[in-house]
Amino acid sequence: MSGDTALNLPEDLKTRALHNARQATPVEALAPLRQDALAALEGAAFPGRKTEAWKYTSLYALTDGHLTARAEGAAPADLPTLSDYRLVIVNGRLDEDRTALPEGVSLGRAARRLEGLTTPFAFYNGAALDDAVTLEVAANTDVAAPIQVLHVAAGDAPSHCNVRLEVNLGTGSRLTLIEQYLARGPVLTNAVTAIQAADNAHLTHYRLQADAGDSLHIGTLLFQQTGVSRIDSYQLMAGSRLRRNDVRAFLDKSGAELNMQGVFVARDRSHIDNQLCVEHRVPDCTSNQVYRGLAGEKGRAVLNGRIHIHPGAKGTLAELSNKNLLLNAGAEIDTKPELEIYNDDVKCAHGATVGQLDALQQFYLQSRGIDAAEAKRMLSLGFVNELIMGLPDQAVADWAQPWLAAELGGRPGADEEAA
Amino acid sequence: MLEIRDLHASVAGQPILKGLNLTVKPGEVHAIMGPNGSGKSTLANVLAGRDNYEITGGEALFDGKSLADLEPEERAQLGLFLAFQYPVEIPGVSNMEFLKAALEATRAAQGKEEWDSVTLLRKAREACKQVDLDPQFLKRGVNEGFSGGEKKRNEIMQMLLMEPKLALLDETDSGLDIDALQTVAKGVNSLRGPERGIVLVTHYQRLLDYIVPDFVHVLSGGKIIKSGGKELALELEQHGYGWLTGGQNGDNGKEDQTA
Repeated sequence: MSGDTALNLPEDLKTRALHNARQATPVEALAPLRQDALAALEGAAFPGRKTEAWKYTSLYALTDGHLTARAEGAAPADLPTLSDYRLVIVNGRLDEDRTALPEGVSLGRAARRLEGLTTPFAFYNGAALDDAVTLEVAANTDVAAPIQVLHVAAGDAPSHCNVRLEVNLGTGSRLTLIEQYLARGPVLTNAVTAIQAADNAHLTHYRLQADAGDSLHIGTLLFQQTGVSRIDSYQLMAGSRLRRNDVRAFLDKSGAELNMQGVFVARDRSHIDNQLCVEHRVPDCTSNQVYRGLAGEKGRAVLNGRIHIHPGAKGTLAELSNKNLLLNAGAEIDTKPELEIYNDDVKCAHGATVGQLDALQQFYLQSRGIDAAEAKRMLSLGFVNELIMGLPDQAVADWAQPWLAAELGGRPGADEEAA
Repeated sequence: MLEIRDLHASVAGQPILKGLNLTVKPGEVHAIMGPNGSGKSTLANVLAGRDNYEITGGEALFDGKSLADLEPEERAQLGLFLAFQYPVEIPGVSNMEFLKAALEATRAAQGKEEWDSVTLLRKAREACKQVDLDPQFLKRGVNEGFSGGEKKRNEIMQMLLMEPKLALLDETDSGLDIDALQTVAKGVNSLRGPERGIVLVTHYQRLLDYIVPDFVHVLSGGKIIKSGGKELALELEQHGYGWLTGGQNGDNGKEDQTA
């Protein structure tokens, strides 16, 4: 894929994806899934400029040829340790030597056919998988310590990997899952994570996206609450050359509860696009979403928060709040809550705001001797700090605070531009 | 240390100060009184460098440096401190983190020894105690959910830690009950010393019962129209501002609001 084919990028990408999928080395355990996904891929169109769901996210970066090669770089030696239990997945393949799992959690290397995937990238993920990791949490198991899953991708040249993680929480089980994305170099991580929760299961989930600035990420996160379960998901995301997160949740049993909180930051020229969709398909489920976004310099952040309340899903409680902070005029934030309600007996609230740093707060800090750049950094951090302070796991909070401080630290020259 | 000559200033384009003169020497306590809308708060905000408070004529020198040329943080680093009339709430930034950043910046600029976090915490707790503020407030967001009186005490607490050369107190007495007023006054008095200047901006004489000034000035229509000793405040209390302004309660008709 060279630059002159950019006009046909959607077709180009599809041709390349189909080619890769058909050439991929067969893996017996994944054969049925790959077959299905290939069929879906064949029927799918890659997004172009006029595709509504990709309105704000151009795939132009992929003309560098990420889909022409598989990522083969080595994982960095110093990976963050947030728990004693962990899985390391390097370029989509499990590193078995570095696997440590607690009792009551079993590891599989297969993947299910998933309902609810929508993007051609998610289909391609299935069609070209050469490994998949499945965690089964046995019924009535209370997993005492978190499981940290490190998704590492590395490469020196434009390349990609397909990453698939599935987690199934058995009846009455309890788990804390920390998914951490660490890409280094011009690698596209094409990720799918699917989590299913049975009756009385409780998951605390973190998605920490700390990829390098030149890395790319296109991913889908699926929650399937097939039981009366509770999922609390905390998502910390920094923009990069291209980051696109699709989150889709299915509330499929009355009494299920989903809480999602997120912070997304786009600085410099980075890009992040969050497409959230919560499907209330049965009565009496609760969803609560709180996201805070921040963009500076020429960064661009997008959030589309769809809440879909199906006919018959009476007694639904659904809330979505998205507050955003624009640090300067060159940055852009596009946010849109989207309610689709097909019955009367629901309680829904949504709100989205985009604001700027408060001049009076900034003056107050400066009047105490704090320089303008530091004042801006403190106020930006303060804007998202509430969510960080509320993280239930100390190890994650301890990792998140310096990470976020660095993300918000501004870049040389950024302040003049912001002033 | 503070030399204000024929100062003209406007707020968002509207002239408020119209030829103000004031000299504050080390060790002196000055009170600036005046009716609503006379320009008292404008003076405090102009000196501290708030946005949209613009010097349009004359000059204000602090230790010989023109304040107009300095950013607000540079003024603070030189030792100027403004206790706000309406302290600002900053959720998400803890009081302690705020103090740490403020003291690191000002102490470094003033060549004072750096305080490690243990020292800082100890000093901050002492300062809290001095103004009768629960040290738990150090962990909370800056002024977040504080009552009016707690906000004012938080200002004085910061001032005690920052040990400014020149302290400007903008209506620090407003909204305080008599006990809080005494506590705050005690805090301010503890800072009095031969090296330090203090300027109290106030509407009422009440504060001056507890912080006795060396000089009292009456500000009206953007100028100082009368200066005297502490007895001037008592005369004002008896006769009202109309005694000096000829019955006009402030002549520019604009509420002297900083919010």
